[in-house]
Amino acid sequence: MKKSKTMLRDILRLSVTLLLITGMMAAVLAGINQLTAPRIAQAREAKTIAALSAVLPDAEYAQKRADFPDATGLVSEVYESEQGYALKVTPSGFDNTITMMVGVDRSGRVLGVSVISHTETPGLGAVSAEDTPKGEAFRHQFVGMSGTLAVSKDGGNVDALTGATITSRAVTAGVNAALACVDAMN
Amino acid sequence: MDFKKQFKEGLLTKNPVFVQLLGMCSTLAITTSLFNGIGMGLSVTIILICSNVLISALRKVIPSQIRIAAYIVIIAGFVTIVDLLLQAYLPALSESLGVFIPLIVVNCVILGRAEAFASKNGVLASAVDGLCQGIGYTVALVIMCVVRELLGAGTFGGGILNGGQGIRIIPEGYPALQLIMPVGGFLTLGVLVALFQYLMSRMEKRKKEAAEK
Repeated sequence: MKKSKTMLRDILRLSVTLLLITGMMAAVLAGINQLTAPRIAQAREAKTIAALSAVLPDAEYAQKRADFPDATGLVSEVYESEQGYALKVTPSGFDNTITMMVGVDRSGRVLGVSVISHTETPGLGAVSAEDTPKGEAFRHQFVGMSGTLAVSKDGGNVDALTGATITSRAVTAGVNAALACVDAMN
Repeated sequence: MDFKKQFKEGLLTKNPVFVQLLGMCSTLAITTSLFNGIGMGLSVTIILICSNVLISALRKVIPSQIRIAAYIVIIAGFVTIVDLLLQAYLPALSESLGVFIPLIVVNCVILGRAEAFASKNGVLASAVDGLCQGIGYTVALVIMCVVRELLGAGTFGGGILNGGQGIRIIPEGYPALQLIMPVGGFLTLGVLVALFQYLMSRMEKRKKEAAEK
């Protein structure tokens, strides 16, 4: 009788202590989240807008489209403006998805490509997103292309980045998904 | 409390990376540019100080049976706070370190110091321990970063200097890209640990010889 009572007290003491510690941390986290949530949302928004204006010449007039055809399953957002479309696509890269924005004009030609976020290998695949001459040249080669693209290794005319064929294929797949989506909308 | 001794331990004799071999996952994964190394090192240092202080303050309240669970909750809390603050105020760093910020939760440096030091010592001593171990960790990461970035990408100060591109020291096309990749992390770490041990043993030998004379 006595033994079970002390055991019960022990169990209560352990669980209540852990509950209190967890509750304390949860309260602090809730506070910090309240504080940072608007800024985080703002930073994300700013990134999308920056990517949008990089691929659409009249990005400030772009309107988000509510529904769009998405046969590839890679298109997550579509913006429409006078000049054309900007599509947020998420192809699979080397070890995670690459989030990128592709601008396409009304006749189905690429206006621009911009990488929003990725986890590609630094120095190799990551070059595709960098603002270096190499990265810019890689993204710029898509401008004006139409139809279904492929990297030169697969018989297409997209020059892959050195040592980053998978990333280059992924970006090409993203551009293809955007072109297919615009083609279906026209 | 012996500040000087704690500092020497954190930086040299008990360096978390080169001697204790703790926190290897992030050490190998993120040390590709100076920006990453400093950012990761400072994040870990801040979390380490906070968790050390709180765990030390609560060391008489936390029953030993559930101490690990309590430590993990406290550490995870601080890591999430740092993660949210970075996302809000330093999005570039948050992007660059990616999943390795949330993964600080399982960085053994922090749980290791909680168990080995903060749970047995006072608040102030624990704060100093957190700071010293954090500095040791940061310095180790920065050394790794400088070596890998220089030999792998041919630059110095990537992410900070020269508009984020770093100062080019080795012309493009010559650096060994492998050093930036994971395999380069293992190679660099192995060589640095060996070098560190060699220097330490030589220092000790000299001290002994001086004492004998």
